[in-house]
Amino acid sequence: MIWKRTRENFRVVFAAFELTVKQSLTDSFVLFGILVQPLIIAVLGIWMLKERGGDYGIFVVVGSGMTGLWSSMVFVSGNSITQERWTGTLEFLVAQPTPIQWVIFGKNLASVLQSLLSMVASYFLAALIFNLPLKMAHPFYFAISLLLGVISFICFGLVIAPMFVMNPSVQRWQNSMEYPIYILCGFLFPIALLPGWSTPVSYLLSPYWTAKALHGASSGTLTFPEIAFSWMMMLLFSVVYLFVSQKLFRVMLRKARMDASLIGQ
Amino acid sequence: MIAVEVDHLKRIFKTYIGIINRKAKEVLAVDDISFQIIPGELFGLLGPNGAGKTTTVKMLTTLLIPTNGTARVFGKDIVKDADEIRSQIGFIFGGERGLYWRLSGVDNLRYFATLYHVEPEVSKKRIPYLLELVGLSDRGNEKVEGYSRGMKQRLHIARTLLHDPEVLFLDEPTIGLDPVGARETRQVIRNLQEEKKTILLTTHYMFEADALCDRIAVINHGKIVALDTPNALKEHVQDLSVIEVEVYGVPVDTLEQLRKFPSIDLVSVEDRDQKQALRVHSSRGSEIVPELLSALEGIRVGRVSVHEPTLEDAYVRLVGAET
Repeated sequence: MIWKRTRENFRVVFAAFELTVKQSLTDSFVLFGILVQPLIIAVLGIWMLKERGGDYGIFVVVGSGMTGLWSSMVFVSGNSITQERWTGTLEFLVAQPTPIQWVIFGKNLASVLQSLLSMVASYFLAALIFNLPLKMAHPFYFAISLLLGVISFICFGLVIAPMFVMNPSVQRWQNSMEYPIYILCGFLFPIALLPGWSTPVSYLLSPYWTAKALHGASSGTLTFPEIAFSWMMMLLFSVVYLFVSQKLFRVMLRKARMDASLIGQ
Repeated sequence: MIAVEVDHLKRIFKTYIGIINRKAKEVLAVDDISFQIIPGELFGLLGPNGAGKTTTVKMLTTLLIPTNGTARVFGKDIVKDADEIRSQIGFIFGGERGLYWRLSGVDNLRYFATLYHVEPEVSKKRIPYLLELVGLSDRGNEKVEGYSRGMKQRLHIARTLLHDPEVLFLDEPTIGLDPVGARETRQVIRNLQEEKKTILLTTHYMFEADALCDRIAVINHGKIVALDTPNALKEHVQDLSVIEVEVYGVPVDTLEQLRKFPSIDLVSVEDRDQKQALRVHSSRGSEIVPELLSALEGIRVGRVSVHEPTLEDAYVRLVGAET
């Protein structure tokens, strides 16, 4: 019985994943966010950091890729429930036997994975257009960091999606969640350049640990214990986000059934 | 076992007025309604806009929590056992929304089949069958954004049948459709009726309820004002004849005057392009026509006809003529 249910839920995750990818391929807003914008940021980064020399190429590739990952998380994952409400499909998703969390998980998985394309695009831009040497110091650590980063981004998406539905006023801050996080989490510049008071804020954000691990593994500037600590922080944040998201989904669904707020214009 | 059992169901919505000095306002959408639907029955919920039909359907489909009262679907409570009910019911709401327009009809059906835990081997056979049932076989692979409103509505019907639910809630399935689209949708509903599905159909089209439903509950201002078979409902007005007069601009004063006639039961007016249809219910039949025409003196009058009351007349009598 448990096995059957797990199989059915995984099938739902895959269906939601497939549906999101098919829809994204025809959505110019999504394509801009995961391909064009990170490339613009990569070009700017390359011009700004080229005086620094050394391993700046791989730093820019990873950093601009992270911007694509974060933008996709904020706008695509964050809107994953709100968008269903706009299209009038939310009622059907709520009144079907699979808990809606599985559907949103599948959608977030798709948006985060397809946003990795931004890293691939930045890599080709740096390698082929700018002829930069792109040497990966610890490919295995990088792969693990990326995997854990993807998991923590998906889990964070599961927190903000119901939060945006319940609090449209919070969603209005969506745009301002983009660049401050690029800066606070050290996507393109080390946070050591920022004022000291902002450092604890960075430590509380899971993208900071993802950026730290990815930059450290790609450029070889961190020791293994330092990278492993970032992995642990990402896992810890993922567990916390998952726990919080379960609570938020329950509250959101109950509230929606009380306030008749499943439909929207 | 009873398929759907509604017991003193009530739903109040709270809305807020004002920005600084916010005041809560309560709207009573469904007011203490009770009814039962037996398996295989096509039960109609008939009422004007805002009568509480959709709110009732949303409570029965687990999308809204009632303020008071209970309802059960095959013995399962709509609040406590919502998860179990969801796999046994299917529902559609009138209109075009609720589909993924950038995907094909088949893609939409495949997605919803997975959500309803239909095994892939089953859905592979069921999707073509359902597309055939709703007359979309040749358009299934096209994007939904190119479908007409009627086609989208029929795709909704196919979607709701994917998991072969025992009970169907069809909320105004023909709303906004052209006559051909509406007729095709009604034919699909008839086919479902033949398959012995239990159906709750809401509509404000009298002829639709008359043609399809085994029993009809007339709902107005959240209350059920009558519940019976279409023929029995018509008997509510068997003692009356309906006189229909074509008029061109009848003043409100004249209508008020007519309403005071002792032998006139009900007066209603329906706009028909540049003219209006004045409908008068009276127990005196054609005898009242001369008096009626003299009351309309000075107003341009067209054709006058006297006929037996229809379900629409019963409905108008039950919910009251506002115009």
